[in-house]
Amino acid sequence: MLEIHDLKAAYGQVQVLHGISLNVPQGQVVTLIGSNGAGKTTTMRAVSGMLKPSAGRIMLGSKDITGLPAHRIAKIGLAHSPEGRRVFPTQSVRDNLLLGAFTRLTLGGKRPRGDIQGDLEKALDLFPRLRERQHQLAGTLSGGEQQMLAMARALMLKPEVLLLDEPSMGLAPILVDEVFHIIGRLKEQGITMLLVEQFAAAALGVADYGYVMENGRIAVHGPATQLRNDPKVQAAYLGGSASH
Amino acid sequence: MDILMQLLMSGIALGMIYAVIAFGYQSTFATSGTLNFGQGEALMLGAMVGLSINGDVLGGPYTNYWLMIPLVLLFGALQGVVVEFIAVRPAIKSKSEFGWIMSTIALGIIFRNVAENIWGRDDMPFPSPLPTAPIHILDANVLPMELMVVVGALLMMLLVELFNRRSIYGKAVVATSSDRDAAGLMGINTGLVITFSYALSSMSAAFAGVLIAPITLTGASMGAVLGLKAFAVAIIGGLTSGLGVIVGGILLGIAETTTGFYLSTGYKDVPGLVLLLLVLAIKPSGLFGKTTIKKV
Repeated sequence: MLEIHDLKAAYGQVQVLHGISLNVPQGQVVTLIGSNGAGKTTTMRAVSGMLKPSAGRIMLGSKDITGLPAHRIAKIGLAHSPEGRRVFPTQSVRDNLLLGAFTRLTLGGKRPRGDIQGDLEKALDLFPRLRERQHQLAGTLSGGEQQMLAMARALMLKPEVLLLDEPSMGLAPILVDEVFHIIGRLKEQGITMLLVEQFAAAALGVADYGYVMENGRIAVHGPATQLRNDPKVQAAYLGGSASH
Repeated sequence: MDILMQLLMSGIALGMIYAVIAFGYQSTFATSGTLNFGQGEALMLGAMVGLSINGDVLGGPYTNYWLMIPLVLLFGALQGVVVEFIAVRPAIKSKSEFGWIMSTIALGIIFRNVAENIWGRDDMPFPSPLPTAPIHILDANVLPMELMVVVGALLMMLLVELFNRRSIYGKAVVATSSDRDAAGLMGINTGLVITFSYALSSMSAAFAGVLIAPITLTGASMGAVLGLKAFAVAIIGGLTSGLGVIVGGILLGIAETTTGFYLSTGYKDVPGLVLLLLVLAIKPSGLFGKTTIKKV
């Protein structure tokens, strides 16, 4: 569903991605793990159009989305819950969710409209904390609630592929569990996901397939179960598995 | 007649004009971090086009004041699109931090020259759509047109606020203002939102132009000082606060009328500018502006 071929990207003169190839098949969860600065978030940003890649090709379904601006990629059906949540702080939780459905609500949005109210209710069912706070300003939510809002907002696009960047970042352990539980439920619903995570063990627990990034390259990849048992991956990323 | 009350009333009417123009500054600053320094010229063009439709300068009048307003608003919006397209978009694209300052000023000067050539350099009276006999309110004489200024200004800001809160397109504008990248991820064409904010900005200025024209005179040079003072108002009130420009505008308006009467009209611009300097020294984000706190 999402195919990335030899993707290169740079911030100014600094080359960050040195040719990344990865594949996210329909209905599967693929995780991208690796240490800080390996280029995971940059990969996500290059895919969703927040950053223009310098080379390579990105296909979403049958469409070439390489180098398109973010809003056009969203219209084609890619949702990105970005690092740091990036909710709209001065707007209500409900408005944030409606903005997630912007491509379905507007003329020229191109995404099938469907039942937006119904999907909003479903999102609030999936994240009951958001239902309680739906009329509150998003800026007043706790970090965990904002993370849930960012995920729910991305789901409102009814995406072909969902990118989740560090959904557990900065959350209390109990909330990390909740976030992974929800990712599991989304997987059951057949949502195709590309997941970037620091909690490698938990990510490989929920994913079908994994890629390990080092210094802007894919170092190892394979089925998630295989990576979990790979001694090198264990030593580098699951070390002591104290994290989770 | 109570003279102080009179000065307050005139100050409020003048202040609301500043507020409308300052509101335009805010609208583009929110979405793009840039300002149209040709705002005063946008106001002047609005007034001149209004006068051409509504007065006899170019073979008119073609229609009355009330039907002229929507035409001028449309003209203002188009003029804003032109400004964004020529002066701002290239600067944003090339990530030039200050290019837009010079290019909007330059475009403003060009607009003024064009206006001088079409309409001449002399100030002209603008026919008042309302009776020119003052009405008595709270011990003061108020021109019906001054009331119209206050009502029109508040109505316009209220409509924009409603649009922002109620419609999905307005929500997209607000979202673009708070986080342009994240708004793009929602599928919002943020470049188009910036163009829209420039249209809205020049439309506000053009509206201010046809509101104030019947009270003052209309001419190619009418915009420069108004645009500058409204900029002061936007700084005093805060570039991010809707309430700020109303309060800031009224403060400056009253400061001008009272100084003009009690001190000397020669000094009428001084207190407002002193206030501007004070605000910049003490609270640079403006009286009502929020200091941006970046959360990581």
